[in-house]
Amino acid sequence: MNPITFNRRQALSLVAAAATLPMSFRAQAQSTTSQSSASLLRAAITGYTVINTFDPAKVTQLPESYVVWAVFNALVKFNQKMEIVPDLAESYSFIDPTTLEFKLRKGVKFHDGSELTSDDVKFSLERVLDEKTASPNRAKLSSIKTIETPDAHTVRIITHAPFAPLLTYLANTRTGTQIVPRKAVERLGDKFDFHPVGTGAYVLKEWKTGSGVKLEAFPDYFDGAPAFQTVSMPLIGEESSGLTALQGGQIDLTSTAPFASIPNLVKDPKIKVYKQTGLNVRYIGLNGRKAPFDDPHFRRALAMAFDRQAMVRSVVFGEGSPATGLLPPAIAKPGQPVPPSLTFNPAAAKAELAKAKYPADTEIKLLIWGPTWWRKIGEFFVIQVNQVLGTKIQIEAGESNAVFSRLRSGDYQAAVWGWLGFIDADEYLGDLLGKDGSRNFHGYNNPTFEALLEKGRSEVDPVVRRDVYHEAELLMLEDMPLIPCFNSNVHNLSIPALKGFTQLPYSNYGDQFAKLQLG
Amino acid sequence: MAFALLRHAVMRSAGVMILALMGAAVVFFAMRAAPGDPALTALGEGASTETIAAFRARWNLDEPLIVQFGLWVANALRGDFGQSLSIASGTDVYTLLADRLPNTLFIGVYAIILAVLISLVAGTAAALNRGGIIDTVATSIAAAGISMPDFWIGYVLIYAFALGLGWFPAYGFISPVESLGGSLLSGFLPALAIAAPMAASFTRILRSALIDNAHRDHVRVARSLGHGPSFIFLHHVLRNALIPFVTVIGLQVRYLLGGTVVIERIFGINGVGSLMIDAAFGRDYPIIQACALTFLLIVLLVNIVVDLICTMLNPRMR
Repeated sequence: MNPITFNRRQALSLVAAAATLPMSFRAQAQSTTSQSSASLLRAAITGYTVINTFDPAKVTQLPESYVVWAVFNALVKFNQKMEIVPDLAESYSFIDPTTLEFKLRKGVKFHDGSELTSDDVKFSLERVLDEKTASPNRAKLSSIKTIETPDAHTVRIITHAPFAPLLTYLANTRTGTQIVPRKAVERLGDKFDFHPVGTGAYVLKEWKTGSGVKLEAFPDYFDGAPAFQTVSMPLIGEESSGLTALQGGQIDLTSTAPFASIPNLVKDPKIKVYKQTGLNVRYIGLNGRKAPFDDPHFRRALAMAFDRQAMVRSVVFGEGSPATGLLPPAIAKPGQPVPPSLTFNPAAAKAELAKAKYPADTEIKLLIWGPTWWRKIGEFFVIQVNQVLGTKIQIEAGESNAVFSRLRSGDYQAAVWGWLGFIDADEYLGDLLGKDGSRNFHGYNNPTFEALLEKGRSEVDPVVRRDVYHEAELLMLEDMPLIPCFNSNVHNLSIPALKGFTQLPYSNYGDQFAKLQLG
Repeated sequence: MAFALLRHAVMRSAGVMILALMGAAVVFFAMRAAPGDPALTALGEGASTETIAAFRARWNLDEPLIVQFGLWVANALRGDFGQSLSIASGTDVYTLLADRLPNTLFIGVYAIILAVLISLVAGTAAALNRGGIIDTVATSIAAAGISMPDFWIGYVLIYAFALGLGWFPAYGFISPVESLGGSLLSGFLPALAIAAPMAASFTRILRSALIDNAHRDHVRVARSLGHGPSFIFLHHVLRNALIPFVTVIGLQVRYLLGGTVVIERIFGINGVGSLMIDAAFGRDYPIIQACALTFLLIVLLVNIVVDLICTMLNPRMR
């Protein structure tokens, strides 16, 4: 007869069977998906999927740092109050303005069993400086003249000139200065990328491209073996999928959270929300070499023509703080009034625009890009500014890689952009707006501002230094080479039983695993 | 006869090769025309000009485009799809694909099976009950199903069956290579999310084809010859109705592949679709090329299979 032998009843029973089949396997599969025993921490990397290396010197992507922070240590680190405290160093001091001396902890072991010495420190930092390493952070260490190792546990870093940001750059953050063992790196060569050997609380056990990372506790960790024996770090590209995975019990901790869901989650007793204003800045970058943004009046007019509070509400659901300068609150001088140039003031904006040499309807294209909320920054800005000033700003949408290429080549008038993870004030003011700043795509060059940057770099006293940067910030706001919009919150979500997580404003992650426990 | 078949097979393979080459060329030049640079992803924004130049030289990105394409074709013909530039630096593209293709194929086939089962039942029931309550319900659900995007259905399914009822995991996929049971369970919701819109359109096609065939002359003749209703339905109505049904299934495969791209990300399936997205954003050219070629070959292959099935169902189509 015919090979196709379906009748209605058979077809129905087949469907019924197909529908119940997965359920009968449920019990079996559950044992592999949700091992929530105390020895396993499931700390997801949400919102990212790309990892190219675990070599601290070569790290560029945030998820790479998440892992590096767990596997390595640096000489110093940030504490809960964002103060620099010793880590692999026992103590540090400035012997003179250009000499920074570190005394290393004794008995610190690398994962391969070898002991940390001053030579490894010298090697690690010189490696970042070596052009052959192609470290994206090479410029961060370019102030270093030589590194001396008087004995196995003393390191002296000598700089060309007094350079205050160096201490920040030597901390366990995203500047590639984690300490690696000379012998292992020389032995492994390029293989070190995926076979990292550090001093950290966790050892990298497994890396599956696009899927995730598995870490095992390092029993000889100098700060005591961690509570969780194993940490699995699945890469979850969609933030909202990270949230559903947490709600569904597949993970214990996330590295980010979707802004839109935070207002509801803070009321949810089944989820713990960690949040604070992050070390980041979202701004409208202006190209000072192109009309009409070569006119400071035009730039200033735009900066006063939109309501930052409303922007934060509409773009990130209130999960951020309106900008009061270029520096995020965590490092800005506290207690300062909001400068008039960053206050929504239609009358003042119109008056400023009237002084500009270009008419309001000058053709302007604003580049926007990326996932929804990034685009909304540009859309909000354009709608309100056009309404207030009668300008004719138009939106040109792209995606991040393309927009960034145009920023770099100066092929733009205005673009929505932002940075996260910068910690030192010099990274914000110097990198973004300094004459030789690596991220100065604005053509900004003001000698008085340069002088203030220099002063800040050579000032060792943190309080005096902060005042200098505040002065520089006020000066920059007069020129308005870019328009600061807001600083968004950083988030982590966890199950309520997880204890010991300290969130820092630069989105730290892996450095906390050693302190976590179920309680 | 045998010669004709052989000739047909050769012609067909040549056609596939030419189409594959054209497709690869389109993807290649379109990606290069797009602004952006894999060096930015791989080396970071802070990379120096010299470092970027070294990167471009290492991966032949400084050669003229036509030379790069020629190199790619020459290597691809030898089965060498190169190495990842910017999203899994240095890893063989072949390994990346080989790891992920089983997951994507599994979800795809799972989705087709679900869609076919659902539509066979719903379409047949609707056709046999034409104008009745079952028909109304089935066609209304189908109309709704066609208009709902698969990622939206994905989240609805997660909230209902994973977070609400707790029957399925909300996230994560166990590869069929590791555990078949685990993959059937963890793959059910994503497969259903992809299957739902397909099932809706299959149901409509099958229903109208069945109704159409039920009133054809040969059916009336069969009935006058005294054949039983189930014999007539199976042999004369369903069999003929299956031809448009199978053709539509074949056509849907390309939408299915598009669907997996989105669904893989929502459900965390480590498949070719999510690899393709990451590669596109990171401008990882070798991976984009290999993924596009894979998808293209799958679509072409499915078309051949569909033709074969239709020929089997209706020898006149030979």
